[in-house]
Amino acid sequence: MEREEVKKRIAERFGGKVQIEQRSERRVFVYAENDIWVDLADFLFNELDARFDTGCGLDDRDGVEVMFFFPFDKEHYYVTVKTFARKPYPQLDSISNVITGAKWIEREIFEMFEVNFKNHPDLRPVLRSDTRPADFYPHKREGKDAHEMSRVKLDGWERFNEVKGKAPKGENP
Amino acid sequence: MVKKIPIGPFHPILEEPEFFELHVDGEKVVDIDITIGWSHRGIELLSESKTWDQVPFLVERVCGICSASHPYAYVLAVEDLLQVEVSKRAQYIRAIVAELERLHSHLLWTGLAGHFIGYNTVFMWCWKYREPVLDILEAVTGNRNHYATYRVGGVRRDVPQEEIPNIRKMLDELWKKNDMLTNAILDDPVIHARTKGVGVLGWDKCREYGALGPTARAGGYDVDARRDHQTDAYAELDWDVVLCQNGDVFDKAVVRQLENFEAIKIIRQCVDKLEAMGPGTEEDLVLEIGEIPPGEGLGVYEAPRGEVFHYVRSNGGNMPMRHKIRAPSFNNILTNEYSVLNYAVADAGLITAAVDPCYSCTERVGRVDTRTGERWVMSEGDLIKLSQEKTEMIRRSLRGK
Repeated sequence: MEREEVKKRIAERFGGKVQIEQRSERRVFVYAENDIWVDLADFLFNELDARFDTGCGLDDRDGVEVMFFFPFDKEHYYVTVKTFARKPYPQLDSISNVITGAKWIEREIFEMFEVNFKNHPDLRPVLRSDTRPADFYPHKREGKDAHEMSRVKLDGWERFNEVKGKAPKGENP
Repeated sequence: MVKKIPIGPFHPILEEPEFFELHVDGEKVVDIDITIGWSHRGIELLSESKTWDQVPFLVERVCGICSASHPYAYVLAVEDLLQVEVSKRAQYIRAIVAELERLHSHLLWTGLAGHFIGYNTVFMWCWKYREPVLDILEAVTGNRNHYATYRVGGVRRDVPQEEIPNIRKMLDELWKKNDMLTNAILDDPVIHARTKGVGVLGWDKCREYGALGPTARAGGYDVDARRDHQTDAYAELDWDVVLCQNGDVFDKAVVRQLENFEAIKIIRQCVDKLEAMGPGTEEDLVLEIGEIPPGEGLGVYEAPRGEVFHYVRSNGGNMPMRHKIRAPSFNNILTNEYSVLNYAVADAGLITAAVDPCYSCTERVGRVDTRTGERWVMSEGDLIKLSQEKTEMIRRSLRGK
């Protein structure tokens, strides 16, 4: 389906719930509100005949930006659908029940960013082993910062003493 | 009575661990649970600590077999962000390296599939025919794998003009060998009996699961990122997307064999164009790229196993703020939860291998009777033997007719 037609039909169907931006000949971005997220994915995949490619998360200060990519192969362009899952408990409805191929990528976004996909048929971590710490989400920025802080805090003498087992600086052994 | 057969996660001849738990009723597979993640290396996160120019070296290590496709998709993503188009010379060199990769990857799969069903001659042939391809890759890029050819704005080195006759000679010889191999596979009644109608994944299921590459095209799902997203020089070259209809293991093999011919056609055309251009200068190879501005870009390239997807986000710094990588096996392995159902255990290994996953089964296969709790262990060799015995049984019955 042609790009202009797709943009028109999305705007007609979802009105003020979406913002459509075309950045180049081959890239269309649709910013969607949370409550129409599943309907929009369903509309693109089942009514407009887009292919489902994959998804991606991106951690931000106030939430997690979640995006899914729908290529229109014959017309050589991508529609990227974006939404924002707010912290402290980011959650979205799962699109796996309308697009089976989204099952694993939602599991991945869950385990990397702690986005809870509601009504997902099997929301287990997909990439990392069962022995991972339950509350560690590698792509969450506060996780990285906390890790960095702990490392910095223990640098220098305190870290040296911890490793070597020596008495803290200033005390005479 | 349902039993569980775990396959995986480790296997010495394949490069990535995966775990398939088959639930079987007698010989028939009735359910499957797939687990991946034993070799999660955090490459996306690592990438966020590398400069834009270092990342291609990192992502070509995502997979040893797809070590051209990942950096290709990555540089396309950054070029999408920058909205630049690289020189024609760079486009041809990119296509040559990527298609050589496709040749050696498809030959590798055909060889392994041959081994799996007890055709060790096919295994030996394929690996022998693959060697000259790797030699040419070494002559052109300096390495048999990990080619370090792709960079944002072009390529790192030219194809030496003196190598062009060698490339042509290798392609001519490989065409004949691939022709012989294809005819041998297409005409063999045992291979027909062993692979036709096995592991069927039709058009509708391909679309539902987002199958990619030969796995999708075998089932008539017409996707190929090189054509669909007009990757570089591919839009102007003469080549076809190979498409079959049945979606079984046989068609998956046919798609790969016929794609070898298309890859040879593409390389020949690119080599002709490079020869006509003569030796190039540094400016012909790569654009001068300055700062990467804030923005986002996505790049897709059709790897041997299917479409590789890279997404990058820049905040204006010298490293990606976010880099998402999706390899085709991520989509294709999931299709096994449908395609393996209702087939025999002896076929399950072949079906799961038919998507050409970065897949590893195990050194040992434990078989558990869930009712009695009885356990017994089969080696990796036993599992392959089970598959090979089925081929031998079919061969004998065909001889008897």
